[in-house]
Amino acid sequence: MTQPAARIVKRETHSSRAPLSVVVAVLVTLLAVYGLLEAILRAVGQPPWLVDPVTAARRLAALPEGTSPVLLGTIGVLLFLLGLICLGHAVLPGRRARHTIADPRVAIVVDDEVIASALARRARLAAGVTREQVMVVVSARAVQVNVRPTSGIRLDESRIRAAVEAELAQMALEPDPAVTVRLSTSGVIGV
Amino acid sequence: MNGTPRGLNRALLAIAGLVLVALGTGLAVLAWVPAVALRWQDWAGPQVAGLSALAARTRLAPGAGSWIWLVVAACLLVLVIAMVAWVANQGKGRTNILFQRDGAADDDGAAGTVVLSSAIAEQSLKAALLERGDLLGVSVTSYDFRGQAAVRVRVLPRQGVAPHEVAADIASLVEAMDTLLGVQVPVLLSLGSGPRSRFTKAERVR
Repeated sequence: MTQPAARIVKRETHSSRAPLSVVVAVLVTLLAVYGLLEAILRAVGQPPWLVDPVTAARRLAALPEGTSPVLLGTIGVLLFLLGLICLGHAVLPGRRARHTIADPRVAIVVDDEVIASALARRARLAAGVTREQVMVVVSARAVQVNVRPTSGIRLDESRIRAAVEAELAQMALEPDPAVTVRLSTSGVIGV
Repeated sequence: MNGTPRGLNRALLAIAGLVLVALGTGLAVLAWVPAVALRWQDWAGPQVAGLSALAARTRLAPGAGSWIWLVVAACLLVLVIAMVAWVANQGKGRTNILFQRDGAADDDGAAGTVVLSSAIAEQSLKAALLERGDLLGVSVTSYDFRGQAAVRVRVLPRQGVAPHEVAADIASLVEAMDTLLGVQVPVLLSLGSGPRSRFTKAERVR
């Protein structure tokens, strides 16, 4: 794959962190606009809207006085957790639930949900059951096929596995997931 | 593949996270450790006294405030502008020029410019893909990716459609477009199933 295509695929399979960035930017903007209002009111000698900056600083400096320690500590823990969320978004890789398909011309990314529905269809045809009896879970390196057999009809696990693996081999996904097939011990009736 | 500044996003989120973690730890320690609370009051009290003394000394006119509030206001204004710029940079980068080449006089005797609009690629691909029955939705957009136009094709196949077959068909369409246009632009094909896929890690489909 060429250089820009590899970069494009990397960007498509990882989160851009745009939503949380917008939330943080809007919150910081609101705080800053409020501070701006109070600072200008103070500069032109008008009475403050909610609290005068110097009074606010005085209250901050006197801090555990004037509030209950439980409230202050709770606010502290809450801010700490929000900070951890932001730090986690900044540091973690943020992989999205997508696989890539190698192609000489086009950079291709596929949502895992599309892969799952294609594999579910193939497993359903191989097992000869209805749509409701097959559930496929796709993650980065594993595909789990859960089949509930029709009561009284024995299913061949190796046939289902072979069909799903053949379909996966045709897809040639990157990274290549491993297949596990689980037949439910209880069957369904009335399908 | 749009122009979202991902490195900047992560850097600013890291700064915001560190500030929040520091603030939260500080407040919790103030609330629950009396020795630290005493030291904080001893340190911060004189600082605030110094600040209000400075504000009183630098009064602009009797009855008006000090100019340090104007300095504070200016800093906050800069912060607001920076935040608005940050938000405005998310998701930008659309382009409507697919390819541009300046003709030279020694090339074919004519000096001029050849410009291919993005609409050529977008509309031809979209028209070809909308005919297919196994796709629920098609959108084709062009982005400016590091100084070069790139086309993003997003298709939403029906449930159970094999993605590699759709991908192979679209790849051959793209090759046909290459011969039609005479230029090769990077193409991204994204197969998805709507906005639901964004909120879950493992995909469950019956």
